[in-house]
Amino acid sequence: MKYETVIGIEIHCELKTKTKMFSGAPVTFGAPANSCVNEIDLGHPGILPCVNKEAVRLAVMAATALHCEIDPLVKFDRKNYYYSDLPKGFQITQQFHPIGTGGYVEIESEEGVKQIRLNRIHMEEDTAKQFHNEAGTLIDFNRAGTPLIEIVSEADMRSGKEAAAYVEKLRSILHYLGVSDVKMEEGSMRCDVNISLREVGTTAFGVKTEIKNLNSIANVQKAVEYEIQRQSELLDQGESIIQETRRFDEAKKATVSMRKKEGNVDYKYFPEPNILPIRLADDWIKEIQEHLPELPDARIQRYQSDYGLNDYDAGVLVNNRDLANFFDCVCEHTGEYKLAANWTIVELTAALNKANYKMDQNPCDPKHLADMINMMKAGEISSKQAKTVFEEIMLGKDPKTVVEEKGMKQMSDTTELLRMINEVLDQNPKSIEDFKNGKDRAIGFLVGQVMKASKGQANPAMTNQLIKEELSKR
Amino acid sequence: MELSSINKNNIRETVLQAIKKAKALQPALNAVVTFVDVEEQLQKLEMMDPQLPLYGVPVVLKDNVNTKGILTTASSRMLSNYIPVYDAHIVEKLKDAGAIIIAKASMDELGMGGTNLSAYTGPVNNPYDTTRISGGSSGGSAVLTAAGVTPIAIGTDTGDSIRKPAAYNGVIGMKPTYGRISRYGIIPYASSLDHVGYFSTSIEDACVALSVLAGRDDRDMTSSYEAVPNYLQSLNSDMQGKRIAIIDNVQNAITDSKIKENFNTLIEQMKQRGAIVESVHLNEDLLSVILPTYYILANAEATANHSNLDGIRFGMREDGDSVEEVMIHSRTKGFSTNIRKRFVVGSYSLFVENQDKLFRKAQKVRRLLVDEVKHVLDTYDATIVSATGSIAPHPQDSIDEQLSSEYLIAENHMILGNFSGYPSMTIPSGFVDDMPVGINLMAKPFDEQTLFNLGKAIQEETGLKGKTVEVKL
Repeated sequence: MKYETVIGIEIHCELKTKTKMFSGAPVTFGAPANSCVNEIDLGHPGILPCVNKEAVRLAVMAATALHCEIDPLVKFDRKNYYYSDLPKGFQITQQFHPIGTGGYVEIESEEGVKQIRLNRIHMEEDTAKQFHNEAGTLIDFNRAGTPLIEIVSEADMRSGKEAAAYVEKLRSILHYLGVSDVKMEEGSMRCDVNISLREVGTTAFGVKTEIKNLNSIANVQKAVEYEIQRQSELLDQGESIIQETRRFDEAKKATVSMRKKEGNVDYKYFPEPNILPIRLADDWIKEIQEHLPELPDARIQRYQSDYGLNDYDAGVLVNNRDLANFFDCVCEHTGEYKLAANWTIVELTAALNKANYKMDQNPCDPKHLADMINMMKAGEISSKQAKTVFEEIMLGKDPKTVVEEKGMKQMSDTTELLRMINEVLDQNPKSIEDFKNGKDRAIGFLVGQVMKASKGQANPAMTNQLIKEELSKR
Repeated sequence: MELSSINKNNIRETVLQAIKKAKALQPALNAVVTFVDVEEQLQKLEMMDPQLPLYGVPVVLKDNVNTKGILTTASSRMLSNYIPVYDAHIVEKLKDAGAIIIAKASMDELGMGGTNLSAYTGPVNNPYDTTRISGGSSGGSAVLTAAGVTPIAIGTDTGDSIRKPAAYNGVIGMKPTYGRISRYGIIPYASSLDHVGYFSTSIEDACVALSVLAGRDDRDMTSSYEAVPNYLQSLNSDMQGKRIAIIDNVQNAITDSKIKENFNTLIEQMKQRGAIVESVHLNEDLLSVILPTYYILANAEATANHSNLDGIRFGMREDGDSVEEVMIHSRTKGFSTNIRKRFVVGSYSLFVENQDKLFRKAQKVRRLLVDEVKHVLDTYDATIVSATGSIAPHPQDSIDEQLSSEYLIAENHMILGNFSGYPSMTIPSGFVDDMPVGINLMAKPFDEQTLFNLGKAIQEETGLKGKTVEVKL
């Protein structure tokens, strides 16, 4: 039987704030366990929540970038359940009035650009982190209360590729906005994929499974593809799908069952009485919306229209925000955009890989790279020399100093060049004759001879020009 | 005991006397859960300005007020070993004003009750007749004030937990506007109904206490930015032209003729002072569902508020084979049957299939009741009613839940002050059968001054300023 895959994705994303969603305790990834907590995060009796304005600002940014409608009346609700990672016994979330509703994300699919609709985006607080070992369960409350946004898509994706493209695109947008670290491997972005199959041509949803613990975008695709395979085999055998939560096992490259869903849990949601509704000022929202950082699509557009880059180069740069930001800095000091893109994408990336540096450890000053590019363009150094210069730039050196120290400057002194050219012409009467007989390639030979005589330091363009002039005189 | 009787030249003696008295009364009243070591506080006081409003004044806190490093149990077995890591906002306020905290007072378990019979440390007795109840849930604070141990004692009020024990024990019980005093650090019952308030024996002291306790606290988002007036300076008992509304549903529901008479006498006195006192009638159907509405809303919030009491991070822990079992065992053993019953009711009203007919309906009824009250206060300065329909009962006659119409209205009308958040105060109005009775006033939001002014006039009429009782030991 032919099946259609139906995928919806919920993404939890930690907001990049200094303090927690409802307490003044610091948010610091990797701090010693239970060192970033206060009585509020531990759910001690008598504590009250206080909404983090910065978290609301970041959520408004995200909702705007994702084309959501923003509810200016911020309200919170309690989601009640008992679990050891939930200190208050309830989570403060936005069940009834999410900060953003609707909206969409555009992805590249096999049929071209496709809009994945969003259901909602809401703010909430994170739970504590649990570590299970033989001795028992250890709880680190540092994460408890960290601000989150949850972004819920509609069931609009139809393949593992689309699911991965959606997560990738969302990650990129949130990264460009600067609202989150979006590191899946560190858990600052977490992704739950709901997936079901149905017979092609039907509209009712099949029984779905939820896949958790996906720590990379590649695994999103792998897990979905495995799950499609698993579910379709079951259905082909006439068996039914069990509604359950599964996790992706990297070693087995398979999804494995975590727990059955026994009906829907009633979380007994009700409005949080300790936070009265907060009316966001229209001006405040407008101010945020008018100062959104440039988003990935806009940047690709700018690279194409302003810098004349092709699809591929623009895409590669924008895919890596830090690389793109570096490229922008280079372009502030040179008009040679295409060259700047090439050097950034090819040479810089290779050099960083070789040195095992991450982008934030990049020793290359963008102005230095721009200067070097300008020197190439002006004929002061050859492209071959540039590679040597670049190696030194990666050590933090100024290209001008490098060129001087290594005596690399191309010979652009006309008198000296003319002396060499005439020497070469005198030694090659045959070539002069060939030229006079209309054989243009003789020039190439002569230029080569001059380059040889100058040990590569002669400016090729200038040499070419001068040889032509000298030949016409003879 | 009044603030004016504090000898500022011998604070240590005053404070130690208060503690001594509380200890002497403990077998008769059973009002204290924990006595607080005052040495450090007395030492700190030496560096402070004697002009501070509560300089050297011994005070008592209800045991749901968090005190850093000092046992805070909310009179529940669940928290019988709980030592807070932080001070409640009002503890900071009191200490900054020079107050010395001498004891943590008994209460109904987690504030959920009106008799103070449910405290983990046992019932609190009425100082006028120790065979009678103190009322609750702020029973310990009320009786310690009535017995003259301290001039001011902190209470909290979710239904009428300050104002009812105030009436039973012949003291002033003040519940200011919702948001007037920060709730940060108060072990909650129901957040949208919880208020911090206090007991005193004179209106003047009540004025001073509110000026100290009120004010914006950034840790409580529901706390108000409204400026805090100097209530004492503005205190004025002139009743000429004051418009006061008697809620006749309440007075009609009361059957005790002596209480009616006490009330009517006071009304005549108010009229003679030039006040315009008129009867108003509220929607009887609505008033008779105050209790069930309260029961649903308060317990729904309470069940969530107390979900943190799971034996995992603090409080009593009962072992089990899994985290879930630890939680179940701890909560089963840590809470009394009545509390668990309330949690079940609260939970039930929040189930998705019940929310419309219970929780949300109760929220709507609350809104309708508030509209009724607001409507009255649009044209009157205050409402006035008998605080309770009877004197403090004996334990066997006391009830927390009963569905007679007398009980429903006469004993629950003060919940209107919690539904609306409007300021409400009980003040002694005399004695019936040698037991104190009180009247209850309610005013517009943040108009505590009107309550104090009215209270001052009543105090002048009754002559009960500074009244305390010598407990028969």
